[in-house]
Amino acid sequence: MPSGMTVFFQAVLSGVLIGGIYALIGIGMSIIFGVMRIINFAHGDILMLGMYLSYYLFALAGIDPFVSVLIIIPIMFAFGALLQKVFINRMLDALPQNQLLLTIGLGLIMSNAMMLAFTSDYKILTTSYSSASVTLAGISISEPLAISFLITAGITALLYWFLTRTDTGQAIRATAQDAQAAQLMGINVKRMGMIAFGIGGALAATAGALISPTYYIYPQVGSAFTLKAFVITVMGGMGSVVGATIGGIIIGGTESVSSVCISSGWKDVVVFAVFLLVLLFKPAGLMGKSRM
Amino acid sequence: MGSRLSNIILLLTLAALFFFPRFVASPYAFHIMILLFLSTIVGTSWNIIGGYTGQYSIGHAAYFGTGAYVTMVLMKDKQIPPWLGVWAGVALVIIIALVIGSICFRLRGPYFVLASIAVAEIMRLSAMNLKELTNGAEGILATELPAFRIGGRVITDFVSKTPFYYISLVLAIVTIVVAFLVLHSKLGYCFQAIREDQDAAHALGINPTFYKNAALVISAIFTGIAGGFYAIYVGFVDPATVMSLDISVQIVLVCIIGGIGTIYGPLIGSILIVPITEALRSNLIAEAIFKTGMVSQESHFGSFLKENLAHAHALIYGILVVLVILFMPEGVVGFQRKLWSKWNKGLG
Amino acid sequence: MTKRTMALVAALCLVFIDIARADNVKIGFINSMTGSEAPVGENLTNGVTLALEDLAKAGIKVDLVKEDDTGKPQVSMSAMEKLATRDKVAGVVGPYTAACGNAIARVAEKYKVPLVVPVAAKDEITQQGLKWVFRPGAISYDYAEIVIEMATALDKPKTMAIINENTDFGISVARGAKAVAAKKGIQIVFEEAYYKGSPDYRATLSKIKATNPDLVFMVSYVADAILLMRQSREVGLRPKAFLGAGAGFSVAQFAQEQAISNYVFSSTQWTQDAKWPGAKDFGKRYEAKFGKQPTYHAAAAYEAMMIMAETAVKAGGDREKLREALRAGKWNGIWGEVKFADYDNFTNQNKHQMLVEQIQNGRHETVYPPQQAAKKPIYPFPGWK
Repeated sequence: MPSGMTVFFQAVLSGVLIGGIYALIGIGMSIIFGVMRIINFAHGDILMLGMYLSYYLFALAGIDPFVSVLIIIPIMFAFGALLQKVFINRMLDALPQNQLLLTIGLGLIMSNAMMLAFTSDYKILTTSYSSASVTLAGISISEPLAISFLITAGITALLYWFLTRTDTGQAIRATAQDAQAAQLMGINVKRMGMIAFGIGGALAATAGALISPTYYIYPQVGSAFTLKAFVITVMGGMGSVVGATIGGIIIGGTESVSSVCISSGWKDVVVFAVFLLVLLFKPAGLMGKSRM
Repeated sequence: MGSRLSNIILLLTLAALFFFPRFVASPYAFHIMILLFLSTIVGTSWNIIGGYTGQYSIGHAAYFGTGAYVTMVLMKDKQIPPWLGVWAGVALVIIIALVIGSICFRLRGPYFVLASIAVAEIMRLSAMNLKELTNGAEGILATELPAFRIGGRVITDFVSKTPFYYISLVLAIVTIVVAFLVLHSKLGYCFQAIREDQDAAHALGINPTFYKNAALVISAIFTGIAGGFYAIYVGFVDPATVMSLDISVQIVLVCIIGGIGTIYGPLIGSILIVPITEALRSNLIAEAIFKTGMVSQESHFGSFLKENLAHAHALIYGILVVLVILFMPEGVVGFQRKLWSKWNKGLG
Repeated sequence: MTKRTMALVAALCLVFIDIARADNVKIGFINSMTGSEAPVGENLTNGVTLALEDLAKAGIKVDLVKEDDTGKPQVSMSAMEKLATRDKVAGVVGPYTAACGNAIARVAEKYKVPLVVPVAAKDEITQQGLKWVFRPGAISYDYAEIVIEMATALDKPKTMAIINENTDFGISVARGAKAVAAKKGIQIVFEEAYYKGSPDYRATLSKIKATNPDLVFMVSYVADAILLMRQSREVGLRPKAFLGAGAGFSVAQFAQEQAISNYVFSSTQWTQDAKWPGAKDFGKRYEAKFGKQPTYHAAAAYEAMMIMAETAVKAGGDREKLREALRAGKWNGIWGEVKFADYDNFTNQNKHQMLVEQIQNGRHETVYPPQQAAKKPIYPFPGWK
């Protein structure tokens, strides 16, 4: 393959693999928005908590980050549900702008509490496979990213099954479609809100754990991911799981390809520009209206 | 509050502020006051578009940063004194505000918020990448200012902080006065109508696009001026310092905590936040604790305090914001008004 | 003793302690103690700690006032101002990063406080004719020169790719690298400044791989240094040598990531093998006390502190006298000979001998110049395992 093409395909592949992780973040935010109509500005900070959890589980107990996902999911589900119950629940009738500001405040508390506890030094988690790769047709595939992608695919499939085949899942979708009607049908809307936030939190933290072998960990790492999550959720359609999945992969790929074709400095500008275009011309997102 | 009483308090406060430099010599005290005034300026200007018109832009760093960069670049590259350069900054800021408005005002509520963030981030990243214009991530450093002359006589050469103190004080007063005039004018009336119900206002003949843009432009102008002032005061700008999301968030938070949509809200919010932030950041609070002798510097807890109290300021922001939004959504000013009216009712 | 007498004695003691304390010269120390630069900043803090121990042993008492600049220039400037005006220090040692060093140099000049900058490498810091700023450490050009010089001594490389961080340090060293390459007839086939904090360099590294350079020259602080090498391994980048320009590549944390750090060269201002008085002992002492090898930052901070404290005490804490003494003085310690001189367009700059180290088996080893080397350089890069 001519080298220009190799570089291009390399970029596309790396982008898609990272996109899987972005998708996980986006899905979590999408569910929260779908059910509660709240834009969770603290989403990236929950991801950051997941990163720290996986770091310390690895450093203190030797648990591999990918395995630690099994521990992180229930813990952070509880955390998310707790956040909703204690804070967000009180704000259900407030102005959406105020709800957003509340989540900003919560995010600030999370990231700065971590900074106080662990200082803002960068932490690096190195596993035996952190830099391992497999080469196929001149293109190298990062092992940790590939494994993350598979895990993400698995979780997404599970989530899809949950939302379409279980009673609770369908109740969540009903609430997302029309909260009042759902309530009339006997669904406990408040409880759905808690579950949605729990799922969102668990997914964000899982994404954090999946990235941790390949990135660096510090308290302020969340905000960049929150911004990406917005872009993905809006692109995919607020509230659409499938949309967020596709959106995540598209954003990952776009970022990577812009990095190659333009320069790494401009890649985020491209992402935000795409975001604005979608907001302006197709605000309901690629998948259309709230449909999980 | 009785109108006379409040006017007397106002005059006394103003007098105290003007004579402050006579009695206080500590550059540190000046620094805190200057930051306080700066925070008041940006908060009050944000309020015009956020509090009165109901459009919560979390992208005001775009205007702050533009004002800062233009002033700095003109001073460093073209030797244009900042008191002239800042107007070029204002001109650019107006254009940018109109462009941003035309993109973002098509969106409502939280979508507008997200768009404002995206635009500000695009500007920050552009500032980082357009090296020939802005020197990129390295930033621009300029610690020497030209002396300010009127008719050949040097009024100040900006070596001490006193001129900066007075400039920022006057700017803060002007911004508050403008906000007051706007609020009580037809403009202000239309702004608030849009905030309450944009469609109803439209039906009544108020053109939302025109008024929203007007609010944004007024807001942007003062934010840009504040940015220009900040640049020459600190002597260093880079995209992370003057164009970041952090700045945009801080601006909004000061208003929320103080009282959104009120004249004095941003001022109160600044008074609450700025001194505490600075005192924490510069370890003044830690030093005070050590002086009381309750905790020794060498002890475990003592060194923990010393290392970490400085970083607690943003945590305190966060806690304040959460508390205010949950329990005092109208901010401290709104809360105080409620208390006052309850007290009055109790008396009457 | 009655209560009153005890109180009197206590008061007298306090007075004496106060007088005694008032006698101690105050020195300020600005460093990146937290934030992204903290892992390296720690070396400066530790170096200063060892210096204070040695100073105390020699009977030189100073009060250290520490300030954390979190790696941000504007915080560094605030810290400098506070030290100059509130704490009224005689002089300041620090900071760490080039950006912070550049920012506070002018503040030091404005407040007329002697500033000794241990390692910040941006050329401009001592190119502005500032009378109050002194730098024992090397300039950024030197970082590039020594390691490329070594490469040309070992082989005849024809092409080089440059990837550097988009910061003061990164950009000034990259500039130096281009100038040196031009002198030596090496063609630059790729050049990119990445902006700090992006986790993904795969695209850039793939582009570099496609140009097949003989040398890859990198300028990064520690977190990115690790990611860059990890991802270089991942995409299979295999030049004849990886040349790092100090900073992140000199840190023990980097060396420990053996799978990706082995065989990487890094220019450095100091190693324990350097034939300077006390260098080896300093290294041993540092490792015994802090559990890891010191970087050149530690040695620089140590020497900067020694110079500053000794001279400040001799000058009785007077800033002008201190400045004159720094200008006139000559030192020869673990940092080699130090003399602040004016040459070319530099002011108060010390001409410092650079070295090159290479990571072999997870440890930094001095490999160049031959007179200072402890081990032979391993060249070319044997490939990824």
